[in-house]
Amino acid sequence: MTRALGGLAAAGLLAGLVMAFGVAPREATQGNVQRIMYLHVPSVWVAYLAFAVVFVASVVYLARRAEAADRLAHASAELGVLFTGLTIATGSIWGKPTWGTWWTWDARLTSVAILFVMYVGYLLLRGMIDERERAARSAAVLGVVAALNIPLVHFSVYWWRTLHQPPSLMKPGGSSMPPVIVAALLVNFAAFSLLYLYFLGRRVRLLGLEAEAAR
Amino acid sequence: MPDNWGFVLAAYGLAAAVLIGYWRRLARKERDLERK
Repeated sequence: MTRALGGLAAAGLLAGLVMAFGVAPREATQGNVQRIMYLHVPSVWVAYLAFAVVFVASVVYLARRAEAADRLAHASAELGVLFTGLTIATGSIWGKPTWGTWWTWDARLTSVAILFVMYVGYLLLRGMIDERERAARSAAVLGVVAALNIPLVHFSVYWWRTLHQPPSLMKPGGSSMPPVIVAALLVNFAAFSLLYLYFLGRRVRLLGLEAEAAR
Repeated sequence: MPDNWGFVLAAYGLAAAVLIGYWRRLARKERDLERK
């Protein structure tokens, strides 16, 4: 199952690259550097997805004390950190030629940086507490609290004046982008989602093996 | 505006390095645990 998912994710990523570089047109204002969008936006989508899974799994763990839910939250938090880091790095690389700076403390960038630090803290907290049950309970509480930052990140571009542009796809009234760009973006959304599921399956299995080895 | 292909290459190259690195780390950890 995981192997098939890996194959699908690889095929999806290949299709995503073809769409980003072979099918989507050169953007009129920014030129070809805008093609970073097909990497940057799906990365943040997967980060949101991963942290939403942490939230749900943490609530389930607090309600039922199920080890499987704790492992799911742990694996998903790690992937969320990975994809948030990728979002920040690719955004910074995109920002330099378009905004003239690698970084600015505007509301969107700052709120994403806070999100990143909160989930790095989540992973550190897990590592710092030796007793498994206590570590899982503390992490679950943080997993619920940290998720409150996700809407703040998404709506920050509406609530404050920012250098970062508002969402082009997930915005009220639908997208104003040409259909071919939307299609390229959607293929990459699907590919990154498959990659997330593939990594998640393997990481959850690995956490199970680690728990068995520790017993 | 110039195309800035160097920035495009840097972004995609970094993403490939990070994702392949993570994939290899998972594979290595799995191998180590299964050997135990």
